[in-house]
Amino acid sequence: MISKRVYAAWFGIHFFLITAVCFAGLFSLVAEGTTILPSALDTYARKAELLAAWLLGKQAAASNPIRRSVATYLHAAGIQSGYTFFAPNIPNYHKLTLELYYQDGRVEYESPHVRGKAAALRLDSLLDRLADARYEPLREVVVKMLALSVLREHPGVKKIRATFGSVSPPSISDFEHGKGELFQPMFSYDFSLREEGSSGR
Amino acid sequence: MTPLGSASDVWKRVIEFLFPPETDKWLAVFRIGLGLQVVVYTLFLRSDWHSLFSGTGKGLVSRRLGEAITSFDSPLIPKLGWLVFLGRHVGIGEETVLSVAWACLLCMGCCLLLGLFCRPAAIIAWFLHLCAAESGGLLAYGAYNFMTMALFYLMLSPLPDRYSVDRRLVKTKLRDPRLLGFWRRVLQVHLCFVYFFGGLAKSLGSGWWNGSNLWRSLIRPPFNLISPDILVRFKYALPVLGISICLIEVGYPVFIWMKKTRFLWLVCILAMHAAIGLTMGMYLFALVMIVLNLAAFGVGIRIPFMRHPAGGARDFTQSFPKKQLPA
Repeated sequence: MISKRVYAAWFGIHFFLITAVCFAGLFSLVAEGTTILPSALDTYARKAELLAAWLLGKQAAASNPIRRSVATYLHAAGIQSGYTFFAPNIPNYHKLTLELYYQDGRVEYESPHVRGKAAALRLDSLLDRLADARYEPLREVVVKMLALSVLREHPGVKKIRATFGSVSPPSISDFEHGKGELFQPMFSYDFSLREEGSSGR
Repeated sequence: MTPLGSASDVWKRVIEFLFPPETDKWLAVFRIGLGLQVVVYTLFLRSDWHSLFSGTGKGLVSRRLGEAITSFDSPLIPKLGWLVFLGRHVGIGEETVLSVAWACLLCMGCCLLLGLFCRPAAIIAWFLHLCAAESGGLLAYGAYNFMTMALFYLMLSPLPDRYSVDRRLVKTKLRDPRLLGFWRRVLQVHLCFVYFFGGLAKSLGSGWWNGSNLWRSLIRPPFNLISPDILVRFKYALPVLGISICLIEVGYPVFIWMKKTRFLWLVCILAMHAAIGLTMGMYLFALVMIVLNLAAFGVGIRIPFMRHPAGGARDFTQSFPKKQLPA
């Protein structure tokens, strides 16, 4: 058996990194003001989140070898993100609706889809990510890819309008009073096949 | 006592905590459970594998986009693009490489189930799963991190265990029980982190105290397996269940270690994951968490109201000859 000291040292470093990742996730939730904690704590939480990120080397330049080594280890060990699933509250979910305009004037409505349940969870996860401001630069290209995946199954379509929005499910009492979910459009894109370009609105 | 003596005493306690002697039963449960998990994972993604990981415009979202985002964190993180690149050099197309990767992952899952070529199977399964998880980073969700974490620990653990085919084919010596204990301890401590931080984060949301979060999570697609009409009938139970989830998770690092409460806590946490799997359709997530919990705390647990040999204590030293227990 390799020296117990080596194992103990690895244990210490490994769980130090896990602690930093978990605290970064937790402080991020507090800093976003989504918790029941007083808003006066938001600034401190943001500072604490930055400290945790610094401990993980995330404040260093992208090419920094320490940052890269830590990131590689975190991903390899599956510990790169904290355990704040379904917390602190369940947000609205998101939907991408595609209006397919055919050359003969027909209009059909579709959504990106997959075959299996496991892949459906992945697609749902992607749509929730797109709503995040951090993914704003990727939105158009991802929506275009999703639109293309649907387009392949619908030859004859000349234009697609993709509308992305947030769906707010009814509360229990609203549901009891017959109210349904509420769709709020966030952004939309028009994709035209002929021009091979896109225009975002 | 002198400060030096005190430090030495603390160090001794740390070592005793980190290296308790263990049998390899927990490792067998861990290996078989993860083998099953990998098999189910590959079979679940069978029809969507190419659609999820294609980089040539045939997929849902190009694999290259996910890989570019992962590379921003570090270009050293393994991805399916590496395998596609290697395949291209030997004249194999992307589709074939992806099919081989899928088949290989399924095969490694079967090997883990049987205990055949345990160590290589664990390493290859970890690598391929990591590649898939990172290449589809944009589409990944929590279950995949737990699978990567579990496979990472499995490949480092002292395989093979006594129930594996490997052990029957090649008569190897029993592994150091303290090393077995160390890796089980790693798993146990990690689970405590998972539940404590998960529970704490949930406790900070008002929706877990009034039941609205459970309602919202159960009626949103694609988790809406139960009709809202049925859920409404249990509306008064939702706050109780929400608070219970917070308490079970936050209390896990304390009550799972206490002999009197360990069984109860384990049953509660397993029931919670089984319920998540059945009511929300998160089968992969439920299975991996059940496997992790059974391997970490389930094997050798004292079940209340049942007779246990030698008083039922988890005295693992009894399973090993004294000469196998290094100081």
